[in-house]
Amino acid sequence: MNKLVEILNLNYSVQSNSILNTGKENIILKNISLEIGANEIIGITGESGSGKTTLIKLIAGVLKPSSGEIKFVPLKEWKNIKTNPVQILFQNNNEILNPFRKIEDIVEEAIRLRNKDKININIEMEKIFSSVGFTDELRKRKGFELSGGEQQRAALSRILAAKPELLILDEPFSAQDVESQLNLLNLFKKINEEFNLTMICVAHNLKILRKLAGRIIIMYNGEIVESGSTEEIFNSPKNDYTKFLLKCENYNLKYEDLKFKTDLTE
Amino acid sequence: MLQVRIREITIKSPGHNKLLLNNASLDLIENKVFTILGKNGSGKSTFAKSITGLLDKRHYSVWGTVHFRGKDIFALNPVELLQLRRDSIKYVFQDSVNSFNQLKKLDYYFELLSKDKSEIDELLSYFLLPDSKKLYKMHPYEVSGGMAQRISFVLALLSKPEIIILDEPTSGIDSAIANLFLLKLKEFASQNRNSVLLITQDISFAEKASDKIAYLSKNRLSTFYEVKDFFRKKDDPLLVDFLEANKHIEE
Repeated sequence: MNKLVEILNLNYSVQSNSILNTGKENIILKNISLEIGANEIIGITGESGSGKTTLIKLIAGVLKPSSGEIKFVPLKEWKNIKTNPVQILFQNNNEILNPFRKIEDIVEEAIRLRNKDKININIEMEKIFSSVGFTDELRKRKGFELSGGEQQRAALSRILAAKPELLILDEPFSAQDVESQLNLLNLFKKINEEFNLTMICVAHNLKILRKLAGRIIIMYNGEIVESGSTEEIFNSPKNDYTKFLLKCENYNLKYEDLKFKTDLTE
Repeated sequence: MLQVRIREITIKSPGHNKLLLNNASLDLIENKVFTILGKNGSGKSTFAKSITGLLDKRHYSVWGTVHFRGKDIFALNPVELLQLRRDSIKYVFQDSVNSFNQLKKLDYYFELLSKDKSEIDELLSYFLLPDSKKLYKMHPYEVSGGMAQRISFVLALLSKPEIIILDEPTSGIDSAIANLFLLKLKEFASQNRNSVLLITQDISFAEKASDKIAYLSKNRLSTFYEVKDFFRKKDDPLLVDFLEANKHIEE
């Protein structure tokens, strides 16, 4: 397997801002090591505050690690290209799309950053819009004229225009109905193949992660507590927390099972 | 026994002359959890709000009738309506944090509802929230969205209503906390003559929590089916697409 990302002993902590305990270190991520192969779809899950979002921000280079390293080995040369090989699909797409510009203009501009050839631009645009299922009519609309799901696909077209090698999906399925979830799931799988795109998907929804990812990482309290093939994780989970999480997802929890949560009362 | 009788609710948005809901009916029976599933923007929340006349009359026209224990809700005057919403039919909204006045500390809300500190603390600790001593000093903007959701549910329970209407209670909260909602909701529905109307997109939650489920699609509310029947009703045209999509994700 061709490695795209290699993370070694990654730590991330912040200084506490509170007046009472200045200088106290707040550890967000502890000793994370992880490899991501080219073309893989990997799922990251865990509850709020487990460090998932911090981890993807570090991978995307938005944050700098306190210690440890993240090696990103792109397949092609990115030196003279103005776009970034790592892209993130956020949740708040309505805030991201410029309300004054048509979607096709936004996408065209992004392609032009790395490709000046007019004919090729049109071919690329066609490929992108047809894979996200954007009709001629939708392409001419502005961000605010689209529904939530359409905005998400518009943001995805803009991302594909940058031809990234790694796409990070931050809770793409949250607050969506089943039919939209299924459409999105199929869309991500298609893009993964058509654009040779490696993907990291952060999601709460284990049911759908199971359908999307080949490998799953379970995080708890800033650490990776278990990782393995999707089949292993779901059929024979080893870690107690993973078992707990699976129980939660299926709504089979009893009140006594909540020992993992007691630290939250503080 | 029948608690709330909702008949032929039709909602239109006059500004756009758009039909939002066509002829929806529902009989809320005591000690049962009724659930409405449906797509984004299908009008689930609008329907729930219409039940106690919460929709702004400038933006919505509502037809139909709602009777709560024989009383015609749409005929109540504003004061009676407020009483009804305070004492009998409680909502827990999706964006709970916006249900609070951001400038009032949380003690204001708790002290309005109950003087029994031990009862309050018991519920707070059940939902893994800080105790009243700590929580009362906080402003709504100091708590997270998931906490606001829990506080809102605790407040609803403290007012001892007969009906609780929950709109997307599990969105934005961890699945462990969602399990707490499930357990408490079942407990509430089993007591006195209570009943629950649940609006959600979380199918697993609906399956575990509900006695009856209906699907809202194309402005129409389907029949309320028993939970086990609901997932097999392929012959109901309103449910076909949903069941097909759900099957793909479940299998």
